[in-house]
Amino acid sequence: MSLRSFAPSADGRVLAGVCAGIAEALAVDVTLVRLIFALLALAGGAGIVLYIALWLYAKSGAWWTWVLLFAAGCAVLSGLGLPKRAVVGIALVGIGLLIAWRRGGGFRPGAPLSWGGTLVAAAGALLLLQSGGAGSGALAPVAVAAALLMIAGPWLWQLGPDRIRLEERAEVAAPVHDSVLQTLALIQRHADEPRRVAALARRQERELRGWLYGERPLGDRSSLVGALSAAAADVEELYGIRVEISNAGDYPADEPLVLAAREAMTNAAKFAGVEEIDVYAEVTADEVVVFVRDRGRGFDRAAVAADRRGLVESIEGRLERAGGSATITSGPGRGTEVELRLPRRRT
Amino acid sequence: MRRRVVLVDDHELFLAGVRAELADSVDVVGEAASVAEAVPLIKELDPDVVLLDVHLEDGGGDAIINAIAPERPGVRFLALSVSDAAEDVIGVIRAGARGYVTKTISAADLADAVERVASGDAVFSPRLAGFVLDAFRAGERVGGDAELDELTKREREVLQLIARGYMYKEIAARLHISVKTVESHVSSVLRKLQLSSRHELTRWATQHRLV
Repeated sequence: MSLRSFAPSADGRVLAGVCAGIAEALAVDVTLVRLIFALLALAGGAGIVLYIALWLYAKSGAWWTWVLLFAAGCAVLSGLGLPKRAVVGIALVGIGLLIAWRRGGGFRPGAPLSWGGTLVAAAGALLLLQSGGAGSGALAPVAVAAALLMIAGPWLWQLGPDRIRLEERAEVAAPVHDSVLQTLALIQRHADEPRRVAALARRQERELRGWLYGERPLGDRSSLVGALSAAAADVEELYGIRVEISNAGDYPADEPLVLAAREAMTNAAKFAGVEEIDVYAEVTADEVVVFVRDRGRGFDRAAVAADRRGLVESIEGRLERAGGSATITSGPGRGTEVELRLPRRRT
Repeated sequence: MRRRVVLVDDHELFLAGVRAELADSVDVVGEAASVAEAVPLIKELDPDVVLLDVHLEDGGGDAIINAIAPERPGVRFLALSVSDAAEDVIGVIRAGARGYVTKTISAADLADAVERVASGDAVFSPRLAGFVLDAFRAGERVGGDAELDELTKREREVLQLIARGYMYKEIAARLHISVKTVESHVSSVLRKLQLSSRHELTRWATQHRLV
């Protein structure tokens, strides 16, 4: 439940839809909310003020609507029969907490403490304690506790800048540990297999680039470029060749497209007799296109062996089933290019 | 005639590797590891080509280009980087580099790229071609000079073939044009990239991931 997402509701509204909106946001019965507002309205009209304040707040959200909301809250408390001193005390605690929250960057662990806010809140708490009137008995200790927690919190949590730095380091360390350090360990263990080492280094390089510059999580396979990179790394490791990937735009990965591209890379790695394959992905307004190209020996489609025809058909068939198309251009000695096209999904 | 080349990179190991790889084809006349070192050195040596990293400890490769280009219009710059950050790559090209290649490029391709830049051509790696196509995506132009802000259909075709891994002579054969024409298309794209005020060029990098 969150009042942050509160907005006047158009469905089932009677006035401006404030009650319905609150009921929706808190997932409670709207009749109950209306009843509370009706009772509050009887308390010196406070409910009406609160209703208007809430409506204005939801409409504009400007700073003055906060003030209005606050004043309405005080009017409600006053209307409920709380002594003046207690209302002022509660108001001060509230204002203090608000200042501390806005100025101090929120109450998250390690946030800097706002002394001004804390002092105001503490003054309010003192006033509240002194008021001692009927009804404030239960509220006073809570307010005092909140003020105390604000002052003591940072010390209790022991969350200075050091702790933040540690947390940031942990955030970086986890993905680096899972990928980079593992790869370095693997490289040391396979130091006598240059091909393997090169492939491992390339896979890691590509992942790290994606993370640093493309903002893809390490090991990401959810975006097209991430998934193509991972597939390329697999093919590089299996066949000891290089796959260069370029792109214009990115898109959520489509499994048939990625699998077909991987198939095309594998084909090139196995049969073309080349050191390097080029892969290019382009996202246009209405489709996603992937080209897989080698400068290798190529083949004559009509004379191709049955086992390879299977692979060719698996690329074409896969794309057609997904609503796209695959075109394979090749000739003996002319290299091969596989062009995969898939319409963009409607969102 | 062997081309005179200055290398600018703050990675010593990498510098040594490039020097060794290029030893057969060009004269590496100088090396620098920072912007402060590179600027006076390049002015003094007046090389044909400067191979420079996009990132240095005391600034970007674009800072070197900006400091040299007005005084030494004959010096050509080729960016060589591990950085894939589109804004870095586009930034160094817009400063005046004649091309961009990644550090994983083979020795032969690098030597070829140096030669091409020295003779006045532009060198686009497949990755750069992809970036540029993305930056000049059709239908996103806002104001500015239409001639500079849009790629022609032919330029787009040429760039797409570069991104797909085609070499200039393969592109020429495929489009039934001469290699010289391919080169002039690429140079024209480079010019647009450097001169266009198309605001996507500065903005697109932040949003180019998902469209």
